[in-house]
Amino acid sequence: MDQLELLQGTLDLLILKAVSLGPLHGYGVLLRLQQISGQTLTVQQGSLYPALYRLEHQGLLATEWGESENNRRAKYYQLTTAGRTRLEVETEKWNRMAGIMGAILKTEAEPA
Amino acid sequence: MNLLARLRSSLRALLLGVRMRSEVAEEMEFHLAARVEELTRTGMSRADSIRHARAELGPVMRQQERYREAAGLRAFDEISGDLRFGLRTVWKQPVFTAVMVLSLALGIGATTAMFSLIYAVLLHPFPYADSDRIMNPVIVNEDNPQELRWFAMTKPQFEQFGRASSIESLLGFRNVNMEISGNELPEEVAAVYLTENADTFFRVPAYLGRGIQTTDAETHQRIVVLNYKFWRRHYNGDPTVVGRTLQLNHEDYTIVGVMPRRFAFNDTFGTSDIYLPRNLLHDSVRPLVQWPYTPWIKIKAGMSRATADAELGAIVHQFAKEFPARFPKKFHLQLQPIVVPYEQNTGAMLALLFAGVVLLLLIGCANCSILTLARGASRQHELAVRSAVGASRWRIVRQLLVESAVISFVGAALGVAASYWLAKLPLLLAPNAFPAESVIQVNAPILAFSVVLTLLTSILLGLSPALRLSRPDVSQMMQSSHRRIGGVRSSHAFHALIAGQIALTLLLMATASIAMGAFLHLMNAPLGYEPKNVMEVGVAMHFQDQKSWEGIKTREARAAYIERVRQSMAQVPGVLSIAVSMDSTPPYSGVERGFEIAGIPATEDQQARVHLVDPRYFATLQIPLLAGRYWSDAENTRGDGVAVINEAMAHRYWPNGDAIGKQLSIPSLKSDAPLVSASSYSSGTREIIGVVGDARNDGLERPALPAIYVPYTTLMAPYTQYLIKAQSEPLALIPAIRAAVQSVSADQPISNGYSDLKEAIERDAQWSRQRLFSVLFGVFSAIALMLALVGLFSVVSYSVAQRTNEFGVRMALGAQRSHVLWIALRTTAWSAGSGILLGLLVNQLLHGILVRWMRVHASNAAGLATVTLLLSLCALAACILPALRAASIRPVEALRYE
Repeated sequence: MDQLELLQGTLDLLILKAVSLGPLHGYGVLLRLQQISGQTLTVQQGSLYPALYRLEHQGLLATEWGESENNRRAKYYQLTTAGRTRLEVETEKWNRMAGIMGAILKTEAEPA
Repeated sequence: MNLLARLRSSLRALLLGVRMRSEVAEEMEFHLAARVEELTRTGMSRADSIRHARAELGPVMRQQERYREAAGLRAFDEISGDLRFGLRTVWKQPVFTAVMVLSLALGIGATTAMFSLIYAVLLHPFPYADSDRIMNPVIVNEDNPQELRWFAMTKPQFEQFGRASSIESLLGFRNVNMEISGNELPEEVAAVYLTENADTFFRVPAYLGRGIQTTDAETHQRIVVLNYKFWRRHYNGDPTVVGRTLQLNHEDYTIVGVMPRRFAFNDTFGTSDIYLPRNLLHDSVRPLVQWPYTPWIKIKAGMSRATADAELGAIVHQFAKEFPARFPKKFHLQLQPIVVPYEQNTGAMLALLFAGVVLLLLIGCANCSILTLARGASRQHELAVRSAVGASRWRIVRQLLVESAVISFVGAALGVAASYWLAKLPLLLAPNAFPAESVIQVNAPILAFSVVLTLLTSILLGLSPALRLSRPDVSQMMQSSHRRIGGVRSSHAFHALIAGQIALTLLLMATASIAMGAFLHLMNAPLGYEPKNVMEVGVAMHFQDQKSWEGIKTREARAAYIERVRQSMAQVPGVLSIAVSMDSTPPYSGVERGFEIAGIPATEDQQARVHLVDPRYFATLQIPLLAGRYWSDAENTRGDGVAVINEAMAHRYWPNGDAIGKQLSIPSLKSDAPLVSASSYSSGTREIIGVVGDARNDGLERPALPAIYVPYTTLMAPYTQYLIKAQSEPLALIPAIRAAVQSVSADQPISNGYSDLKEAIERDAQWSRQRLFSVLFGVFSAIALMLALVGLFSVVSYSVAQRTNEFGVRMALGAQRSHVLWIALRTTAWSAGSGILLGLLVNQLLHGILVRWMRVHASNAAGLATVTLLLSLCALAACILPALRAASIRPVEALRYE
């Protein structure tokens, strides 16, 4: 199966989406993204956390320390109200963009 | 985006820095553990999976850094890095740093001190509420607009005035001299009666007890409020004074309060010792005061002075119709803010001093810029490395600015600390030039001023080097290693800085030379009398005590008593000569009185300074006799109709030199006051028997006015004054003098106000102003000169150090040492020379203003030449010393020099 590199600027949106389904720790975000994408997307582990920090700093994610599934202390990320709004706006934007991109790329040369 | 949330998060990250780091570390640990677990599940060995997981995630430190970056702390971290680096750099070069810090500390300290003085004296001198709206109404005589006059009002006038619509609050006061009675020695005090609204008018809370307040108008109780200085002097600052009684003019008054130190009402007539409610005025002062209300006005907020002038002017013109004799023929009313007299007298002085300290600060900044630039040449290598590994230009500029800010703030801290002391210096040197109320203190506006000043300074001094050094030519720098040829030589800004610094220094030195010249002129000006080792001692006679008064009531008995005291004092060892004088202490002496010359009708308003003295007065003060004779002791005892005049008078009225034997009379030289006794000749015809030299009687600088000296027995108040000339320091004789007086009359004390005549001169306003200018500008220019020389010296030293190789080559190829010397110093000497020329030019342009502001009459060409020569020589020395080192190096060593 081919693995795709992430498009520039899409990581934030993907994280928001992943977290919107329920609170996750950092490693959980990674796993969920791989799981939803059917193992087709690779997220650089080194760039995951800076993105999380950035979203937290922007007030889109809230954090809380909790127990992980194997009884370890882990930091859980969760969507704030602002984060939810942002996710909706960005999803809408992405869908429109994808539609336009698709339409453009489908265009074929008109017969002369 | 939610800005507030971001700020909160940044702040949290900043404050909880350590915890954040450990949290990030813990999160990474968890991540690694989870990852390792998963990898081992896929069959990888544990050691491999740990290595693999670590490689995927990258170092934990990096993540922590990312976290701080995400929290917006990157700039913060970088600047604190710059700061640490700056501190290290600064620390590593103690001499350089010390010179920089001192240059700035002097400038900032002096500027802050001067600003706090200006704040205290001109911007916020008074403790009164809304003091900017308090006005002193003055009457301007239109025939002679220089003449300003206060005026007093009757009760109905005052009430009418108070109803004017432009007035928010009206205060009436009346100054009166009173006497503290009940003690062994009567003591005069300056009292002021205040209308009872004083509390709401000034809104200055009392220091102890209470002030005069509105309810005092009804109760009519005898109460008194003390001035702070009087309380300190008379009661030694005793805090239990409230509630005690003070006997004034033989009536008991209850002390109800002490005003704070800054309350020194009033500035117009002199600070009073005690404050009394207005309704007691007629109880203690006889005869009745007709015009008890001198007004101070607080105009309504937002009211223009012109509107108030017009309204109140109309009312005062109406008063003038009722009492035309009390007003000039043509006049208008002018409301004068109470700070105006100080603005006029002190404003120019402060402006000049402020300009002086700003110059000093600029010189300090220029010095720092020069040093930074000169040193910067040796730092170019370091900066080039930074630039080569990717530092942006802004980053380098920022680093250099942070370094200069570190130095400025250290300098500022020192400077502000010093300013507290420096600000007091002018007050010590010229105490009479400032309002009694002004208190120098370091407060918020002043601190804000110095912080802003410091920031400006650090930008000013750091920017030009920063911009210049932040563009290193990387390739050249890296190749040339330390062996850079040329270095400092190429910068235009550099030469401008040196020339500017020298020009400003010369300007300060020239100003100092004007001030010192004027002060020397003042010190050496012939006074016409000799104040050295002469003191005045006053003796107030006991007129309150009926028994002792009987013994000295008649003129003859009193004259004999004064003479007995004089003879007793003359026995004191160390006393050379003693004279009696009633009110004749130079440089302000005598009382202005009209006189008439027998046989010649007065064509003009003839006035002369009349001095009541004994014949020893002239010898004691060494005033020379030019013609005729002094009066004898016998004539003195009788109070004969004789007079001695001064040269100015003889010259003016008898220009042919035939004054001796002429007759004159002084009609006002009489008094029907109960305590004063006059001889039968006092206002009658007097024969001029002698002419003496002019002794200053109208201040230090103005020529002597016509003066008439007559025997003191002519008109005797119950007070006399002795001028005592001693062999050495006269004040040391005071205990002996006191004993001598008491040997004549056991309960006769001497007044506390004895003083040295030399000190009286030093208290003179003109004297103290000139001394202030001389001392301060002298200090300023000495500092400036020092800074400039340090600047020149270091520039030449640095450039010599950098060009050692070049000099070695030159000398190896046969260059003369003198030639090398010349090369080493020529550029700097050239800048310094053009600076001197520039300074002379600017000085020429500003000379007129300087002379006017300093109130100096003579320019000082010799002084200017001296300081120019001094500066040139010093500058040359500062250039040559380091250059000599270059010329003395052996070529072989120079070529090896790294």
